[in-house]
Amino acid sequence: MDKAASLLADLLAFIAMDGCTDKQFDQLALRLFAYQYENNAPFRSFCQRRGATLRKVKTWSDIPAVPIDAFKAMELRSEPALPTERVFMTSGTTGRAARGRHFHPRLDVYDLSMTRNFARRFMSGAQRLSMGILFPDEQAMPNSSLAHYLALARSEFGAADSRCFLTPEGLDLPGLCAALEQAERTGRAYALLGASFSLVHVMDALREQGRGFRLPAGSRILDTGGYKGQSRELPLEDFYAGLEELLGVPRTHCINMYGMTELSTQFYDDGNAVLPSVKSGPHWIRSRLVEPVTGRSVAPGERGILVHCDLANYNSVTTILTEDVGQWAEGGFLLLGRAEGAVAKGCSLAVEEFVKAAAA
Amino acid sequence: MKVERITAGHLPGLRDDEVQWHVLPFERDGLRLEVSVPMLTAAQMQALAQRVRGAADRHLRTMPVAEIIDVIDRAIARLLDRNDPFRREAEAWLPVVSGYDADMLRLGLTGYFKTFRAPQLRRFVAEDFANPAVLDGFQPAPKGGAVRAFGPDLLVHVWAGNVPALSLWSLVCGLLVKAPGIGKLASAEPLFAGWFARLLAEVHPPLADCLAVVWWRGAGGEEVDALYAQADTVLAYGGNDTLAALRQRLPMTARFLPHGHKLGFGLVGAAALDALKAPAVARLAAWDVMRYDQQGCYSPHVFYVERGAPVPPRAFADYLAAELANLQQRFARRPLDLAEGAAVAKWQQAVEWGSDDQVLIGPVDAPWSVAYGDSLQALAPTALYRTITVVGVDRLDEVVPVVAKQRAFLQTAGIAASPEELYRLASLLGAAGVTRISAIGAMSMPEAGWHHDGRFNLIDLVRMTEIEQSAEAAAQPFAPYAD
Repeated sequence: MDKAASLLADLLAFIAMDGCTDKQFDQLALRLFAYQYENNAPFRSFCQRRGATLRKVKTWSDIPAVPIDAFKAMELRSEPALPTERVFMTSGTTGRAARGRHFHPRLDVYDLSMTRNFARRFMSGAQRLSMGILFPDEQAMPNSSLAHYLALARSEFGAADSRCFLTPEGLDLPGLCAALEQAERTGRAYALLGASFSLVHVMDALREQGRGFRLPAGSRILDTGGYKGQSRELPLEDFYAGLEELLGVPRTHCINMYGMTELSTQFYDDGNAVLPSVKSGPHWIRSRLVEPVTGRSVAPGERGILVHCDLANYNSVTTILTEDVGQWAEGGFLLLGRAEGAVAKGCSLAVEEFVKAAAA
Repeated sequence: MKVERITAGHLPGLRDDEVQWHVLPFERDGLRLEVSVPMLTAAQMQALAQRVRGAADRHLRTMPVAEIIDVIDRAIARLLDRNDPFRREAEAWLPVVSGYDADMLRLGLTGYFKTFRAPQLRRFVAEDFANPAVLDGFQPAPKGGAVRAFGPDLLVHVWAGNVPALSLWSLVCGLLVKAPGIGKLASAEPLFAGWFARLLAEVHPPLADCLAVVWWRGAGGEEVDALYAQADTVLAYGGNDTLAALRQRLPMTARFLPHGHKLGFGLVGAAALDALKAPAVARLAAWDVMRYDQQGCYSPHVFYVERGAPVPPRAFADYLAAELANLQQRFARRPLDLAEGAAVAKWQQAVEWGSDDQVLIGPVDAPWSVAYGDSLQALAPTALYRTITVVGVDRLDEVVPVVAKQRAFLQTAGIAASPEELYRLASLLGAAGVTRISAIGAMSMPEAGWHHDGRFNLIDLVRMTEIEQSAEAAAQPFAPYAD
């Protein structure tokens, strides 16, 4: 078995474990770092500029964090391009900015990471649930990691009558209502999964029609991704209160998933009864909170920018610097929104405004 | 933590307990400063407008400009006196609210106040009025008849907080044209305008009621509409979005003088790039980047540097980086909050991960950052806070079409070149939209009487009233001495 294949086999075995020690995590993180340093040329030159060599990187937190913008600028890959590879792209707005690309030569690592974690954090013991999916399917959006994630949820964990209610024509509300009614009637737990903004659209439509449901015990909702300007900006408090009121799913069973195209592993909370909820991931991903310019970890209790070291990111880079603001909390971290580019206080021009003006 | 409190603003005719106060908190080096800013109701705003107008009618419009200049000069003399209580307040608290290095601020304030002494103010007036006496009474017009300049009935100022004491410019302009004024404090620097109004009242008590300084949250509500309804001229600093929204709310008849976002840049010609001159120019360029951490509308974002001289552009960028490192020792950059830091990091990352001919000079975690690009690139803003781009070009002329694309954002260009080159480039840049050309090193220190954004500071505020020849001639028969 060659080096890459044995690394991959070990990675799959690692994800299949029930947990790991700090040492085990470090060992695999460093092996992946060495592999990516050797095979991923843009990453190597980034490391060299940062003075991070194989000898200097002694623990996972020493691995230089690659900013997510780099996924737009460069092809970050350790294996050569394959015709069969899957490429997940970030949702580029209006086509001006380049879209970030994440190359997956095979999806077995991604899929194992997703299913192991999803079974524990969303299904909580249930084998299969009848699912309603509020997002376009994989055929409609082959480059969307979320579409693949939801397809996997449906194929691995969905009952036979699971359906996608977002068609090219838009939301199939009658179909969704029929499925929800049936769940009410049969008393079989139901799962509704999709983009946060789609759930806002569902709630708006239900309110408009004066309809509401009491889904059976054990039903659950998964939302992800925020509103992205696709729906009105609903405060989180109203969002989860609305889900509970209109669908009868207690907020403890409304799970938010925090994922990124640039990662191969997701974070979940344990319900949204209390806001902001605490997010956490499985044993093969670890996070840091850093000061953005120096990259140093912030003092305990301080807010910082999230850095994730995701061992399932075996082909691109394990360690990425996000643009998300976080803060440590008991059992994980709080997600406090995006670090918006600072707005200039006066008449000197800030980048964000300039880009906006230039696009206008 | 030690807590200090300051009451900001200036409210003639209103007692402190009659208005609502909002607290703006600032923290620095273990000190917490709570600045209380006044929030008025619509009725109070209306009454205030009436009061300042009435006071200006009685006390300000009756003063000859020479006397107004004298009063401002005496106020400025006190601001230049480091033992004066007002100056001491400014030196103590402006660093806390702005976060800027205290020494940088002290030097900046002195350099700035110096441009408002009597001789400079007279030049300021003369810059706009060939005969400054038109501000005091009717003066003969060359075409015949007579003409007099009247300032606004009510001048409303909306200030920005990027440069401390920025409000002094528009306050002085308003005074010189004898306009009663109501100004809105910037949340990021809510102190200086109120101090100046109070200082003026001490220096010349009749002026106490001619200026008012207030605050409102964001764009404000009905109280602000009440104020705008009474304003005949509104002078505002800020982002273009803010200014556009403001314009929507003004009565059609109001004159609007916006100072929006600008993008400064510098040109360094081959003549300035020998082994002796290049380091000196780089040092001056670093000062322009350092002052107010690049927050001024005149602050440079890009230096275009000509190739073909003994010191190549890349070496100039290294000099600039070294000077910025030096200046950090004397005048430390202000601490960045998370969003500002993230913006700087994002800008650095774009350079690091961008095209191959771009490099970031110096350590990524330094409190300054120089990006060097070896091929001509667009004039685009950096992340501010001492982040600067240096671009090598074959000829400075290549830069003209590039900057012309940002016409709406052009204002200041710093030039280091021979006298012939200076004038030749100035013509090209002026046509492209640049309104101010300065030495490198003086970009962030505009001189007294400059034409801010290419406009007339005082003429834009006044309206002219003419007595036509016909009226003069027609009056003759009605004279008691008429035959």
